[in-house]
Amino acid sequence: MASERPTPPVARPVVHRDVVCPFCGLGCDDLIVEEEPPATLAVCSTDCPVARERFSRTPAAEPPRVAGVPVPLAEALEAAAAVLAAAQAPLVAGLGTDVDGARAALSLAERLGAVVDHALSDGLYRNLAVLQRTGWIATTLAELRNRCDLLLLAGPDPAALHPRLFERWVAPAPAFQTPPSREVVFLCGEPLDATRVTLSGLPVTVLAGDPAKIGEAAAALAAALADPSRVTGAAGIAAEDIAALAERVRKARYAVVAWAAAAFEAPHADLTVERLVRLVHDANRHTRCAGLPLAGHDNVVGVNQVCTWRFGVPLRTSLAGGAPLHDPHRFAWTRYGAVADAVVWVSAFQPEVPAFSAGQTVIALAPPGTVFADEPAVFIPVGTPGIDHAAHVFRSDTVVALRARGLIDRGLPDVAAVLAAIAGTLPQEAPAC
Amino acid sequence: MLTKLAGGRVYDPANGRDGAVGDLFVRDGRIVADPGPGAAPDEVHDLSGRVVMAGAIDIHSHIAGGKVNIARLLMAEEHRPTAEGPCGCGGLATPSTHATGCRYAQMGYTAAFEPAMLPSNARHAHLEMADIPLIDTGGYLVLGNDDLLLELLASGAGEEAVADYVGFMLNATRSLAVKAVNPGGINAFKYNQRRLDVDETGPFHAITPRRILTALAGAVQRLGIPHPLHLHGFNLGVPGNVEATLDSIAAVDGLRLHLTHVQFHAYGAEGDRKFSSAAARVAEAVNRRPNISVDVGQIMFGQTVTASADTMAQMNNAGLAHPKKWVMMDIECDAGCGVVPFRYRDKAFVNALQWAIGLELFLLIEDPWRIFLTTDHPNGAPFTSYPELIRLLMDRDHRLAHMAELHPALPEHTILGSLTREYSLGEIATMTRAAPARILGLTDRGHLGPGAVADITVYTDRPDRRAMFETPDLVFKDGRLIVRDGVVVALVQGRTHVVEPAYDPTIESWMARRFDERMGQRLTHFRIAEEEIRGGNGLLRHACQPGAF
Repeated sequence: MASERPTPPVARPVVHRDVVCPFCGLGCDDLIVEEEPPATLAVCSTDCPVARERFSRTPAAEPPRVAGVPVPLAEALEAAAAVLAAAQAPLVAGLGTDVDGARAALSLAERLGAVVDHALSDGLYRNLAVLQRTGWIATTLAELRNRCDLLLLAGPDPAALHPRLFERWVAPAPAFQTPPSREVVFLCGEPLDATRVTLSGLPVTVLAGDPAKIGEAAAALAAALADPSRVTGAAGIAAEDIAALAERVRKARYAVVAWAAAAFEAPHADLTVERLVRLVHDANRHTRCAGLPLAGHDNVVGVNQVCTWRFGVPLRTSLAGGAPLHDPHRFAWTRYGAVADAVVWVSAFQPEVPAFSAGQTVIALAPPGTVFADEPAVFIPVGTPGIDHAAHVFRSDTVVALRARGLIDRGLPDVAAVLAAIAGTLPQEAPAC
Repeated sequence: MLTKLAGGRVYDPANGRDGAVGDLFVRDGRIVADPGPGAAPDEVHDLSGRVVMAGAIDIHSHIAGGKVNIARLLMAEEHRPTAEGPCGCGGLATPSTHATGCRYAQMGYTAAFEPAMLPSNARHAHLEMADIPLIDTGGYLVLGNDDLLLELLASGAGEEAVADYVGFMLNATRSLAVKAVNPGGINAFKYNQRRLDVDETGPFHAITPRRILTALAGAVQRLGIPHPLHLHGFNLGVPGNVEATLDSIAAVDGLRLHLTHVQFHAYGAEGDRKFSSAAARVAEAVNRRPNISVDVGQIMFGQTVTASADTMAQMNNAGLAHPKKWVMMDIECDAGCGVVPFRYRDKAFVNALQWAIGLELFLLIEDPWRIFLTTDHPNGAPFTSYPELIRLLMDRDHRLAHMAELHPALPEHTILGSLTREYSLGEIATMTRAAPARILGLTDRGHLGPGAVADITVYTDRPDRRAMFETPDLVFKDGRLIVRDGVVVALVQGRTHVVEPAYDPTIESWMARRFDERMGQRLTHFRIAEEEIRGGNGLLRHACQPGAF
């Protein structure tokens, strides 16, 4: 757990062990990260491209800027508060931040009467739409690892987004099944090369149907489960393959259907999710089966959790009219961003900020070195959770929250401190209840 | 600063005061003895004629954690801005953290405890509880379906090893007590078993629920945790489940046991409808055994949402969902969660009888120190229905009038009409203040003696007890006025109550291996650091006394 810091001035790398990776939502907490002073990090325990890339981007701190001119932090905070005090339709979004950053962002949004959303909430909303319409039967990563004997992956290989999914949660034998066997089926998607290597010890079946027709394959499977005589081909997959898979689901002891909705290509992808949820539901008439919706880059799951407990409703909510108003269509940042007059964009996990229209005043909180298409009105460089400061982030399965610790000190403020300072600079209001 | 609360009628059962007029003095957030005639209070509240009690404590209310957020997501309708509620925050059954704190404080409550914190979800629950303003919180740790414990039991581990495991888990998750939810049943559901009897061997680990129940009750006793094992029993909601409830009482063989939301576990299967009240049998058993305590889990009519770790029971109820949508989750080899929206209808026989069974339990169990006022929020009803529930307990005419409006077959299936008992203010103060503090081991809460934390509620004594308990005149938290005439006047932060029982840390190397091999998480990361709770300023530790109970 503790970092092994050699006595200075010996100049060899500091080794951080058991590092929690906060980036993709799988919650890997076994990383070894080498620190080359002053502040260069290198992940040396895994090939995970997300971890290697994200931990390696730690340029030195830079000063905040107002209209492109470097200024002291206090001046940037005042400039941001001045913009926001005058805003009529503000948007507080991006929200790539930890739990404390989310709390501060939501408090600020409440003060401003802003709309809130996360940069990567598209995949999350494809799932939440179904949760809110019909409910579902779901599971978590350790259940997958220890109980699942049949894993069905719907759509593109989720390892593209969550690289260590198979290594950590699928390749180990299930501890709580006898015999401890597991097989893996790809439905309307193909395993990446790395996935094939990781799963080389397990039976893997690939039913490479049309990735735009995952929902149809799921429906055909559900129909075949209910009545084998009604089996049909779907999504380019032959009827006998659907029939054989339905039989395997029926005979499974604990089947898991996993998907990464962010990668679905079909329009109205929530309907694809709904078909998968229905399949899981129907399979539970025969055996145990559970869904595993994967979403979670940049703590989108954690920020949505905080928003849900703070306001009673999830992200994509407007706080403009007193009571929170949730509307996943109207208040998606991509839509509301087109009409907002001021934007607070938070991206502490990665140096990327989308381009907004001319005439929109942007206050960007992002890591140093972020390249902007248009210089924002205010840019405040912030530290990255789990690199520059300790942070709470949620795993993709929504259940497990992890505490990532800080590894280096580049002298960067964290999102929570910056947003609280901006809120503190706004005109004071009495707390309402 | 010295504050004097002058001339109120003080109901403080822990210190033997039952409405006698007296003064209270508060200095630096605590109650102090009368400083004598020389002292000049900085502030005096004239409370003549008013009723003064300690701040109320809710021992069982689902206020935080994963299932509460799922319930909020599922109940999106009640969060539309048209939904009623003070402060514009919607959601009676699924209030936000802010609304939760405000509504409790507005009713004179100064603490509420989350009774189902899953080990894997404990960090989330604590993060969420820290956002509930005004009231103290804490969590009971759900054990008894965790594969690690079942594995330990299956290996033949002795009482000591089980206690070490439980001790580690309580410390690591910053919990106040141990909760068991349908022991063994949630685990069995993961193997597609839809029912598991008390003496039936479960799948995979081959352990009986009775063994799990007795092991946990024994561990709680051995570790000296003030709160007895908090048991959500077997076959929740199933007619005839009273047998399993009485069985559980017998199984612990004199050890302390708290039966939670016992209303849902006091059903017989007699009569023309094969659903009957077994409240009298449960009450008789509780009255006879001082080691048993209960909270009721009263149902009240209207829309709510049920949220429970008991996936086995919730899956059986899913067909009754209203609206027709529900969520089940198998969780992290330690438990599960089932969230099923539900509408209790006063014209439905089953719901009407559930209502009557809850009230029968309240009125038949004699000792107010061993029965607690809960609706199992939000499962039986939102906690905001407590004032109405208090009125039902204190006002027989009101009770009978309400009963007359329910399903016409009800009177022939309940003895409620013949029960004349009316709770006194002193008994209400016992069951909502003194007794909860005592059974949780909160020595400086729930009473008004010198040294107690100055969590104080002041009411106007109105004949309409609902109106009285709905809107206290004054509520103090840690000596600070937070509510005046039902309006929150200051937003303060509560604390998090925990126990830290001693255990032999050699268990940790076994657990660390298991975490590496199974949980995909390092044991060091599972453990919640003190600084994570309310920024390091939140923990209130309560003493464990091995062998004392």
